[in-house]
Amino acid sequence: MRLPLLALGLLLFCALAAPLLAPGDPLAGSADALLAPLSPGHPLGTDDLGRDLLALLIHGSRVSLAVGLASSVCSLAIGVLAGAVAGWLGGWADAAVMRVAEFFQTLPRFVLALIVIALAGPGIGKVIAVIAVLAWPQTARVVRAEIAALRGAAFVDAARLGGMPGPAIVLREVLPQVAGPVLVLAALDVATAILLEAGLGFFGLGDPNLASWGAMLNEAQQYLRSAWWMSVFPGLAIGATVLVFNALGDAAAASLDPRGR
Amino acid sequence: MGLLGYTLRRLLHAVPLLLAVAVLNFVLIAAAPGDPVTALVGDFPAPPDYVAKVRLDYGLDQPMPVRLARYLGHLARGDLGYSFANRAPVASLVAERLGATLKLTGTALGVASLLGVALGLAAARRAGGLLDRAVRLGATAAYAMPEFWLGQLFILAFAVWLGWLPSQGDGPLRGAAPGWAGVIEGLRYLLLPATALALRYIALIARITRARAVEVLRAEFVLAARARGASEARILLDHVLRNAAPAVLTVIGYNAGFLLAGSALTETVFGWPGIGRLLFDSIAARDTPTMLAILLMVSATVVLANLVTDVLHRLLDRRVA
Amino acid sequence: MSLTRRAFTTLAAAAPVAVSLAATPRPAQAAERVAVLGIDADPPTLNLALTTGYASGDIGAKLFEGLLWLDRQWNPQPSLATTWSFTPDGREYRFTLRQGVVWHDGKPFTAADVVFTFNEVLAKYHPRTAGMLKTVGAKVTAPDPQTVVIALEKAYAPFLVQMSVFEAPILPAHIYAGTDIQANPANLAPIGTGPYRFAGFARGSAVTLVRNEHWWGKPGLDKLIFQIIPQAANRASGLETGEVDAIVDFYLPKPDEPRLMQNPKLQFRKGINIPAVYFAMYNTSRGVFADKRARQALAHVIDRQRMVAQVMNGLARPGYGAFGDGFGWLLDAEDRYDVKYKHDPAAAKALLAAAGYKGETVRLVHDAARPQMRAAAAILRDNLRAIGMPMEIVALERAVQLDTVFKKRDFDITLQSYFSAGDPAIGYHRIYETNDSGRPFTNASGYSNKAVDALFAEAATAPDRDRRAVLYRKLQAILNEDLPSFVLFDEETADFATRRLTGLWPAIDARDQWGGVTLAS
Repeated sequence: MRLPLLALGLLLFCALAAPLLAPGDPLAGSADALLAPLSPGHPLGTDDLGRDLLALLIHGSRVSLAVGLASSVCSLAIGVLAGAVAGWLGGWADAAVMRVAEFFQTLPRFVLALIVIALAGPGIGKVIAVIAVLAWPQTARVVRAEIAALRGAAFVDAARLGGMPGPAIVLREVLPQVAGPVLVLAALDVATAILLEAGLGFFGLGDPNLASWGAMLNEAQQYLRSAWWMSVFPGLAIGATVLVFNALGDAAAASLDPRGR
Repeated sequence: MGLLGYTLRRLLHAVPLLLAVAVLNFVLIAAAPGDPVTALVGDFPAPPDYVAKVRLDYGLDQPMPVRLARYLGHLARGDLGYSFANRAPVASLVAERLGATLKLTGTALGVASLLGVALGLAAARRAGGLLDRAVRLGATAAYAMPEFWLGQLFILAFAVWLGWLPSQGDGPLRGAAPGWAGVIEGLRYLLLPATALALRYIALIARITRARAVEVLRAEFVLAARARGASEARILLDHVLRNAAPAVLTVIGYNAGFLLAGSALTETVFGWPGIGRLLFDSIAARDTPTMLAILLMVSATVVLANLVTDVLHRLLDRRVA
Repeated sequence: MSLTRRAFTTLAAAAPVAVSLAATPRPAQAAERVAVLGIDADPPTLNLALTTGYASGDIGAKLFEGLLWLDRQWNPQPSLATTWSFTPDGREYRFTLRQGVVWHDGKPFTAADVVFTFNEVLAKYHPRTAGMLKTVGAKVTAPDPQTVVIALEKAYAPFLVQMSVFEAPILPAHIYAGTDIQANPANLAPIGTGPYRFAGFARGSAVTLVRNEHWWGKPGLDKLIFQIIPQAANRASGLETGEVDAIVDFYLPKPDEPRLMQNPKLQFRKGINIPAVYFAMYNTSRGVFADKRARQALAHVIDRQRMVAQVMNGLARPGYGAFGDGFGWLLDAEDRYDVKYKHDPAAAKALLAAAGYKGETVRLVHDAARPQMRAAAAILRDNLRAIGMPMEIVALERAVQLDTVFKKRDFDITLQSYFSAGDPAIGYHRIYETNDSGRPFTNASGYSNKAVDALFAEAATAPDRDRRAVLYRKLQAILNEDLPSFVLFDEETADFATRRLTGLWPAIDARDQWGGVTLAS
């Protein structure tokens, strides 16, 4: 648990302190020093427009983390709400929510995001929205199952007898009980979202006004042979970040598992 | 006969679901800005009456609801429409390309299942051991890497630098060698894309298998079997694999449907002439009928794969119980 | 004989997978001379008369023929027509056709095919030629089976340039007459007169052509395979690994070309191409660029040399003037950008201030799928930042981009590239001519100048090149001053092939004239 948390801290620090770590506009190029290999002045080399790759990578962490975290938070919010409604109310509300969830789960996430962004134009707000809309059903299913199981529990009955209204019971008594598994899912969602955003960037659908890892990979395609650093470093950055969130999810799951303790 | 009833109910249930998918896809694409006709007539300003004629020929002059109704009507009759970008019926386009995708995804999923289960079991045998740690680390890393990026690095390393394998396509174009040499030649083309596609699934399946296997190995009935003096191989096959199977099956089944769409990136990188690339090409060409057909097909495959998984699950459960 | 070949072609089209085995006329596989040519995507059609798509043209130029072809010096050379002449006023062209030519299905080729193609196909469906034939009021007749006469209501200077296989391919009347041209199955299994005939199309994978034994010349290869390679970087790799034998510049990423030129296994042809310009088009009907001083300000700071180096890896020439420098006969050295607008940020700032610019962000729109536009946009942003003009880049999917730029005109600057197709009158007038049609690939700047339009009309119809040069110089004087669009650079190309191929690229268009290409053993 400690290592992934440390790595997450480092990532967040990079993203938040980007203007301090790599001052100036990372997208500003120069007429010289294009495609420069690794050197003390440019530890990770430069790209075809003479831009420093390290600066681009540091600033790019902002887009990846923003998309990953924001879309995960949004899908979490939708998922918990939908799952709570379905699980607590049961009956037709449950059936309706589950049908909608099933609908969204049959849609191919990456391809649909690609189409929406291709047709609606790039922008990280749109990317976040698309991912959130497509990713919530998993969370909803978990929350629903947990809540349905808890509905008859003794402490819930006690709260109900104490005159607590339904929504308040769900909010105060039940939701904290399902927080664990939901957080595990959320960490994995962040990882998936980061990969998805990178894939969109790779296809040239990143926002050209922001430094992003996916867009860097897209630009690097043309220079795969002449400047390997343009492709290798953003690829590794994506892989490492996804790995951190997967590891966080695993660690969270392990600490929730009674046998793992 | 509960299983048959269950299957039928699920199939019936799938119809409105796929109808909703079809409507959503259509509206999404129709609402987008940009004129599909411009993609058709090329990179030069075409004469206005020519553009008008093309528009009329393909029914693009009608308002959206009319086109939607017409699309659903055709769909109900099993007609997937006509691809104006390819000047061919969509059904035949898709049929032409399906084989290549099935070959690629089938190989990837098959290899991933075998290798994933084998690695998972091997790792679980001595949980915490060197092999276990190596598998877990490898799986975590492989699961995190973007496959399109890996694919490009594969081409660079194995095709361009080392020159061992072909970089593009699904087979030799200059004439295939006869007999076994031809088969081996074909496999050489398959190796890189299938590996790039399979890596994530190997990782996923190995992790699930390992997790379930570790649980089962701790279970009392395994201890009892061991106490009775059953061999390790027997324990792994009889107890561990059988008990881990449902979870592994679920993972494979739920991913099989999306593999069709997921192979799109790999197909593009390796010039593999499958459905996924057809989909990307159709997006670039604003070829709406082809886009719609493939999207619907992906969703239908997902529904079907889920159904098959659930049915198999029930069968397995019955046997386990 | 002809029946069996038809049947074979149909079979081959129906079962493309079997083609590589079946289409081999010779028993000895080793002796077969095969060349693999890389292309980028599935051709939407193989009927060259319906499209100006690049890959369709690449394949179609081997299947079909025009009345003539253009050599590297732009001189017309005989193809389906052996000789031709025109009246001094440039209003009547007379072509004598080659004797004894047969279609791939064995039927004889006659003047009736030419008349049918012009009247029923090109005039209705060819994206470029249809407009031209209508504008000049062409009447196509055949006084005898070996002669075709084309009479024009208005003279048209580049008429012969538009008689090549790309602009006016000749189709078989017996296949197309009385059918729905667009839906004719021959569009995907064409019958032409060219050196190679169609053998199979495996979508997403390859198009295969085999040698036409009955061609009037002698085809140098047994089989031509067009391999479809979707990723640009892999097309260059294919040349290096030997999987691909030849690729035209169009499909290659520019960054790979300098490296390919160093490869001892490859030969290349550099700097011979039909001109094409990359330019920035300003929206003159809104915002700061409505004022011509703002447009002139940018001319003082846009770093065209840096674009040549970083966008095109040296394979370009920095913007020269309103029409680039691709057509040497019309240039005006006195009036070029370099003379008129020296690099001068201070002057640029002063001009912007005079135009009333207050630091608003300008919006640049380009096609997201084109890496050159991405790089040029990034450099432009650097250049504008230096004079205090912030710029937002909007990279859009192709069709959305066309809609945004040409229909909605929602941009301040847009980056475009236009292909001349062999003459400024065919490809470059559309950058500047008054236009409010909303059609893509025209003038979306909102710039409208009656004097310019009149000069263009005359330049298109004057038959004499010296007279035309005078008109184009007048146009450059006006357009270099008004700058509704600013030419960033002229594209230079490099076409590549393995050294084993000989007889390559005699034509100005590298895709044309492959009949004489052969493979040294």
